[in-house]
Amino acid sequence: MALNTIEFECKSAAPAALVGKPLHFGVVGSGDLEVLMEPKALKGAVAVKVVTPVSGFDELWRRVLATFVENSKLGDVSIEINDNNATPAVVMLRLRQALSEAAA
Amino acid sequence: MTKQRKWDNLATDTAERMAAADRFIGKGKEVQSGDVVALLEAVIRPGDRVNIEGNNQKQADFLADCLNQVDKGKVHDLHMVQSCVPLASHLDLFESGIAKKLDFAFGGPQAGRVAKFIREGKIELGAIHTYLELFGRYFLDLTPKVSLICAYEADREGNLYTGFNTEDTPVIVEATKFRQGIVIAQVNKIVDKIPRIDIPAGWIDAVVQSPKPFFIEPLFTRDPALITDPQILLAMLALKGVYAEYNVASMNHGIGFLTSAIELMLPTYGAELGLKGKCCTHMILNPHPTMIPAIEEGWVDTIHCFGGELGMEKYVAARPDVFFIGPDGTLRSNRAFAQTAGHYAVDMFIGGTLQIDPYGNSSTATANRVAGFGGAPNMGCDPKGRRHSTEAWLKCGQELPCMKDQIGAMPRGKRLVVQGIETFGEGRAPAFVEELDAWKLAKNANLELPPVMIYGDDVTHIITEEGIAYLCRCGDMETRSAAIRAVAGYTDIGLKAKPEETRRLRDAKIVRTPEDLGVDRNRASRDLLSAKSMQELVTWSGGLYEPPARFRNW
Amino acid sequence: MSNWSALQNRSFLESNARARAVGLVDEGSFTEFVGPFDRRTSPHLEVLGEAVEFDDGIVTGIGKIGKTPVFMISQEGRFIGGAVGEVGGAKMVGALKAARAFAEKIAKDFPKAKEEEKPIVVISFETGGVRLHEANAGLLAHAEVMDQFQRCRGIVPVVSVIGSKVGCFGGMGFVAAAADVVVMSEFGRLGLTGPEVIEQEMGKEEFDSADRGLVFRTTGGRHKYIMGDCNFLVDDTIAAFRKQLAELGKTPRAKFAEFRRIGSPELVEKQLKRVALAAEMQPKDARDVWAKAGNADPAALGNAPLDDFRKAVKRLTV
Repeated sequence: MALNTIEFECKSAAPAALVGKPLHFGVVGSGDLEVLMEPKALKGAVAVKVVTPVSGFDELWRRVLATFVENSKLGDVSIEINDNNATPAVVMLRLRQALSEAAA
Repeated sequence: MTKQRKWDNLATDTAERMAAADRFIGKGKEVQSGDVVALLEAVIRPGDRVNIEGNNQKQADFLADCLNQVDKGKVHDLHMVQSCVPLASHLDLFESGIAKKLDFAFGGPQAGRVAKFIREGKIELGAIHTYLELFGRYFLDLTPKVSLICAYEADREGNLYTGFNTEDTPVIVEATKFRQGIVIAQVNKIVDKIPRIDIPAGWIDAVVQSPKPFFIEPLFTRDPALITDPQILLAMLALKGVYAEYNVASMNHGIGFLTSAIELMLPTYGAELGLKGKCCTHMILNPHPTMIPAIEEGWVDTIHCFGGELGMEKYVAARPDVFFIGPDGTLRSNRAFAQTAGHYAVDMFIGGTLQIDPYGNSSTATANRVAGFGGAPNMGCDPKGRRHSTEAWLKCGQELPCMKDQIGAMPRGKRLVVQGIETFGEGRAPAFVEELDAWKLAKNANLELPPVMIYGDDVTHIITEEGIAYLCRCGDMETRSAAIRAVAGYTDIGLKAKPEETRRLRDAKIVRTPEDLGVDRNRASRDLLSAKSMQELVTWSGGLYEPPARFRNW
Repeated sequence: MSNWSALQNRSFLESNARARAVGLVDEGSFTEFVGPFDRRTSPHLEVLGEAVEFDDGIVTGIGKIGKTPVFMISQEGRFIGGAVGEVGGAKMVGALKAARAFAEKIAKDFPKAKEEEKPIVVISFETGGVRLHEANAGLLAHAEVMDQFQRCRGIVPVVSVIGSKVGCFGGMGFVAAAADVVVMSEFGRLGLTGPEVIEQEMGKEEFDSADRGLVFRTTGGRHKYIMGDCNFLVDDTIAAFRKQLAELGKTPRAKFAEFRRIGSPELVEKQLKRVALAAEMQPKDARDVWAKAGNADPAALGNAPLDDFRKAVKRLTV
């Protein structure tokens, strides 16, 4: 019944520290999520923590985040997500939007 | 000398029935609403083919209710031949045994009951058709003996005004009456003078003013407030990767939020891409409220409509350069003609779906609902009889690598059939599946065929948030399936995509990601919608659009 | 957070709680109290296995409009319908306490402070009331917010701002109405019992919650403006709300008592007269009351563009 917490690390082949200061993006609406990204010395890796009411999709989260980290070349960041049943399409969209807002 | 043969059995039969009904029919063919059940008992015989007019919009609901009240001893085992069965009363006929066999096109809200009744043997299913296919059979082997139709107004002679929602009426009446059948009309009002004659009194046998106006559903109204960012991303991909790529001038848009998003983004993203005047100039559409901004911005030359849309009456009447408006100043929709144009004349069909299999077959069927097809397959297919050329049609055909294997060097075009879908739907249900639920439905409801909305060989483009699969650029099934995998995201099918294979497909422009197309995903927000709410649509329309109460938020 | 200038012309209705909080005050002036990085999620939701949000669905902080310090509370309707629980409720109470303490300090330390230099509280409501998952804690939060309102009276004005999707219903409907001033857009809705609950209790014949036209002309901004439940009816942009708040920031604090709906024997008397009027009229529809207020064609008034509505409308004077 309790919330599921999924924690893992992933690493891009060519990591770059793209998040200079902590950022927050999104709203935990139905089918949506919020994300916190904070710079953290992880030797180029990205630490991910997902809190979600949905179970059984741990592997999917790993894959989506690994693709995001690889495509964005994100590194040395801690990502925390509060999810409420977002689809992979929404997850990817929100992560990209968060990053683009950080760059703006 | 051969034996004298009687050649007017149909007319004689009808005359007998009408004689039995004579006492219910007054001046101007008027029947009192309280006499309708008796009238139906007089003119309908067991086993008759009967049509109740009603597609997914207007409904001859009063006559359907009356048919349910006939004496089952007198009227039973009817063969219903009709576009749609969306009302509970349509299915109640089968529950009670008044009707036995069904040939139709669309199930709508009763889809679950249709499946159940077929399984339980309460419905003997003829076939599930497309609209045009069923209309065709009205003139071949499924001509109704009695048709129960629906109009706004009748005059004192029995002429009918079907107006804005003319829809299927002309087809039904013509098929029925010219085979000496019987046509009974329910109207909202009997008046001295109707705005125009849509159906002449001579083709009508009886008219009843129904106690309540007929039921009509605003089926094509999409509230812009409900359009999501992922739908906007798909719409951006469609506009850049298909509309602009092929200069698609004429098309039909499906009913979903993706096409609503596209319509609302014509004046913004579409204008930015320079598509005005090139794309969406000629459309076969119901009067979608979400088209208002593009129409106001001067994008559209012509729109012909299958049916009306509640609340759009005044707006449409005020734009006679765009819509098909009668001398009386109101629209005449016509499903048969719009479907004909949708089948033969348009360059593209674009719409959403529920599931796509590894071959590109696409279906909205779920395991326990016989929803039917409506009109989508007529537009979502390559019309083999098409002989005129347009830029988009020809370009799409020329891209087809296997065309030469079939007709040599002969140039030929192909209809663009575009399916837009997010890789995961509601409740994280994958949109890409090894086997369509249509197979399960076929088994559950004893159907001969899994009901496939659009067959894989007709689909030319699949759009997901991962990008576009240009199936029209695939020479063989292996390449097609690889292209589908490449845009199937994190579904089980998508996870089978091999990175190096996807790379090759991207290089060959068979698969194009948003980045390949130069679509900035970060712009996929509601800011791109030219209207974000129903009220903004009203404002765009200069106050002419009057949304039904359920869509108002002020 | 999006660019402040871009936020100004954005639809208030479409804006999330943080965008509203940031956009309603001057550019760059918003400082958040107990923000998402503090990770104050609801312990109750976690136990129940329900999704949590780092700010528990309520944004609090301080910013300024011109010279006016603005204590901001903004509710997020997309998170569990904006329902108020223990953490979010405590954040509301905390912001109100801080506002009062600040106002008292200004009064004490700067007795000559100009009106526009004195603080105000702005609450952007988007809620159905109590978060049922947190039952008593949520109810208590409502009571504590009400209590703070009473303590703020005459010290720092509280402005209710309503123009978000969920509207403002349930216990928070009482709270919003108990503020000094109510500012709404026509898309805002204010009431106690939500439309679905009325239908459930009284039947579809009495109130069809699917008839949004009916719902809005019974609870929406236009109706509330005619009834006097809403003091100012503004356009649906953050800038329009901001402009109204800026006006209020410059308004003499003593004048705020005149905006109120309740809080004096005279105002209670006035409310009772309206109850009597309703009993006497037995209106079948909000339009009957609009007509009673002197609006000859209520249906046309409901359809008119907002500018025309504001020019033509007659408000109930009882």
